[in-house]
Formats: sequence, structure tokens, C-alpha cells
Amino acid sequence: MSVEERPKMPASQLVYGEIVYWVTVVAAIICSIGPFISIKNVENNILNPHFLFAGIFEGKSPETIWQEVGGGFPGGHFYLANFGMGDGFTQAGLALGCSVGLYGLIAASFCFLKEGNPLFFVLSLWVALLISVSMIGIV
Amino acid sequence: MSKMFKSPWLECNIMLAVLIISFIGMYLIGQGLETPPGGMSGLTIVGWLAGFFFLSFGIALVAVIGGIGGGVLFTPFMLAFTSVDSLIVRATGLIVAMFSGLISTGPFMRGGLANLKICVFCAAAYGVGAFTGAQGAIYVAKHLGATGEGVVRISLGVILFSLAVYFIVGGKKIEWPEVKKIDGFTKKLKMTQPYYEASLGKVIDYPLTRAGGVLAAIIGVGMLSGFFGLGAGWAIVPAQNLIMCVPLKVAAANSGVLLGMGDCIAVWPYLLMGAIIPVFAAPWLVGQVLGGLLGALILIKVKAGFVRYLLIGFMFFACFGLLTKGLTMLGVIGTVPLWINGVVFVTIFAVVIVSIVRYMKAEG
Repeated sequence: MSVEERPKMPASQLVYGEIVYWVTVVAAIICSIGPFISIKNVENNILNPHFLFAGIFEGKSPETIWQEVGGGFPGGHFYLANFGMGDGFTQAGLALGCSVGLYGLIAASFCFLKEGNPLFFVLSLWVALLISVSMIGIV
Repeated sequence: MSKMFKSPWLECNIMLAVLIISFIGMYLIGQGLETPPGGMSGLTIVGWLAGFFFLSFGIALVAVIGGIGGGVLFTPFMLAFTSVDSLIVRATGLIVAMFSGLISTGPFMRGGLANLKICVFCAAAYGVGAFTGAQGAIYVAKHLGATGEGVVRISLGVILFSLAVYFIVGGKKIEWPEVKKIDGFTKKLKMTQPYYEASLGKVIDYPLTRAGGVLAAIIGVGMLSGFFGLGAGWAIVPAQNLIMCVPLKVAAANSGVLLGMGDCIAVWPYLLMGAIIPVFAAPWLVGQVLGGLLGALILIKVKAGFVRYLLIGFMFFACFGLLTKGLTMLGVIGTVPLWINGVVFVTIFAVVIVSIVRYMKAEG
């Protein structure tokens, strides 16, 4: 093959790469804005930043911090009910980024099927299933 | 149109612009914030957030080029120099380990430096291993205690030391492994995929072998990772390279993609228990994304030898940590002071930098 003939990548690979890449970019933008919302109105947070950071640097455990600063941990998916809050918005960005493998793998699995590759269709769905059960909190 | 307005620089610039505006805004607001009794001042919070971002950016840059998760650098640093609770450090360490891998997935998949089939194949095995390893951790904690963990850590350290030595003497054979015989199982999987190697200016088509062996090895790596809660990049790269004969740069790129994919499983228990504090973790995530993207663009262009030297450095440092921790657990030595870890790290990477400079001069 000559230098000009760059190999064409399979659709499954491109689809996985693009989904993971762009969703991660969106997650990063949300996480850049989130702390600004937190500082802009410190009362509009579950965890007031003044006491949150003081607690973190005093070496307090997460459980203690949530209890003392926020009155208890509201659950990992608390962003769903508190999207407008500084830390709720930031948690939404974190959750989006931490689940990106799931979206990429589901899309890639169908591409594998289209490419006539049932083994990798199954393997992709298997990994996607592991992410799903982890997100729900079964494991 | 300037290349600054084209992907990936366009999104890079947008992310940077949002980040800069956000920090300027936080700085201006932070100046006027009244500090409540017992709380931290606004400007101190903004200072910490900026510091976390810059540190994370630097870690991601190095981690992506070496194909390791940044956790191996982040966790010791945070535990050494801050009083932050170790659960928060470990949980945020996972964010650090995975996001440089996630963002580098895009450029690696587009250019073909990473291979999705190998990544999915390894991730399926890694998941099984990690589950088993977590169960094993509970068993060992109940039955063998610190002695069992100490022995396993020392064994791992010895294995890693042998691999690092092999990476030194292996030279070009490591960078571009030769496949003498392809077994039937590997052939059936059809995982090979040619790609354009930018540093050589030509298309590389790499045959693979012993996929069954790498499956067993990755299950083992997953078990160790789940067992010890360790990052696994340092083991995934040599496992692919030495067993399946994946070229070193491809193995490093695959490792990043795989860490991003696999840690989507590992991170959720921490998120669901509140160990990841959103505003604290956010600058680490953003630093990983921007640093990881830049690292990926560099890795595509650097020569394989550069990656090999960097990886050797990480392997020796991880090996030192495993051996000393294992000996401490067995009661042979006392806890190694942090300054000794620092001296070892600086010494190893001074040698790595000198080797890379010599290598680059020799390669012209």
C-alpha cells in the first residue's frame, strides 16, 4: 500500500470513537461551567463550597462531609432532581461522562452486526451490560 | 480556514474558552464572597480548583503517551501532599484514570492507532476478572490477611521487574513484534486492522497471535485490578505486546481506550456512594480531557521508542512501589518515607529523559 492509501476504518470503530469523544467533550464543558454556578451562588448547592472544601482538606470522610454540609447524601443520581444547582449540574456532567462507554458500545454493537460480526456484537453488548448494572447499583 | 477552527482544535479552543471564562468569573465573584466562620474563602477555593486543573492536565499528557491511567501518578501525590480522605482520593483517581482514555478514544479510533475489536475483546475479559478479583479480595481479607496481600504484591513486583528488563533489552522487537505463527483461534477472530503510522509515513499491517493467551492474561490483570483496586494500564500494555504481538504504540493506544471503557464499570459504585464530590472532581476531569486530547495528538506522531522508554520508567516505579509495600506488609521493612519515593521517582525519570533524548538524537 502506498502512503496515499490510508486504510478506511470500520464503521463500528468510527461510531464508537465519535460518540465517546463528543459526549466526553460535552461532559468536560458541563464540568467547566458547574463550579462557576457553585461559586456564583453558594447557597444554590447541596454542598456549600465554603464548608465542602474546608471539610475535604480537613480529611473528613465523604459520608461525614455529605452529612455535615449537605444534611446527608441524596443518592448518586441526585442531579436528576437538582439539575439547576451548582453541584447538581456538575454531577450531571460527571454522570454523563462516566456512562459514555455504554452509549458508544450499544451503537458499535449494531455496527458490528451490520459488518457481519456477531461475536463482537455479543461482546460489545456484554461490556455494555456490565456498565448498565454498575450504573443501576447492582454491583 | 485556519486549522484552529477545525476538529480537534476547534473543540479544544471551545473547551479552553469556556474554562478561562469560568475561572475569570469565579475569581471575580470569589473576591467579593464573604467567608463564613469555619469555611474556606472564595479565592482559596478558586486557587485550589485552578491548581487541580493544571496538575491534572500535566498528568494526562504523560499518561496517554505511556498508555497508563493517570491514577498511578495522582493517587500517591494526593495521599503524600494533602490530608484529603483516602476514599475521596481513590474515587477521584478513577476519574483521573479514565477521562484521558475517553477523550483520546476519538483520535485513536479515527486514525486506527487503537483497535476497537482488541479493546472490546480485552474489556469483556477484564470485566470478568475484575468481578472475580473483587470477590477474591473479600476472601483473602478474611483468610490470609496482610501476609497474603504482601506475598501477592511482591510476586507482582518481581514479574513487573522482569517485564521492564525485557522491555529494555527487547528494543525494536518490542516496538514492532514479529509474528512467526498465527494460531487458528486468533485467525478466526479477525482482529487485525492496518493503520497509517504517522511517525514512519507508511501503512502498518500487524498480524496478531495467541489471542487465547491474552484473554487469560487480561482476566488475570482484571482480577489483580479488582483485588487490589489498582490501575491496570502498566499490565495491559505488556500483555498485549508480549503475548499477542500488538505493536507497542497500538498497545498503548488500546490501553487508554480500554481504561476509559472498563472504568465506566468501576467508577459507578463510587458515584453512587458519594465518594466522588462533584465540584472537587470537576477540575480533575476537565484537566484530563484537555491534557488527554493533547497527549493523544502527540502519541500519534511520536516514534515507538519514545513510548517504550516512558513505559519502562512507569514499570520500574510501579515495581518499586509494589516491592516496598509488599515487604512492609510482611513486616520485613518499615513504611518507606515519602521522600524516598520522591527520590526514586525523580531518579527513574531523569534516566528516562536522558534515554529519550539520546534515542531521539540517534533517530535524527
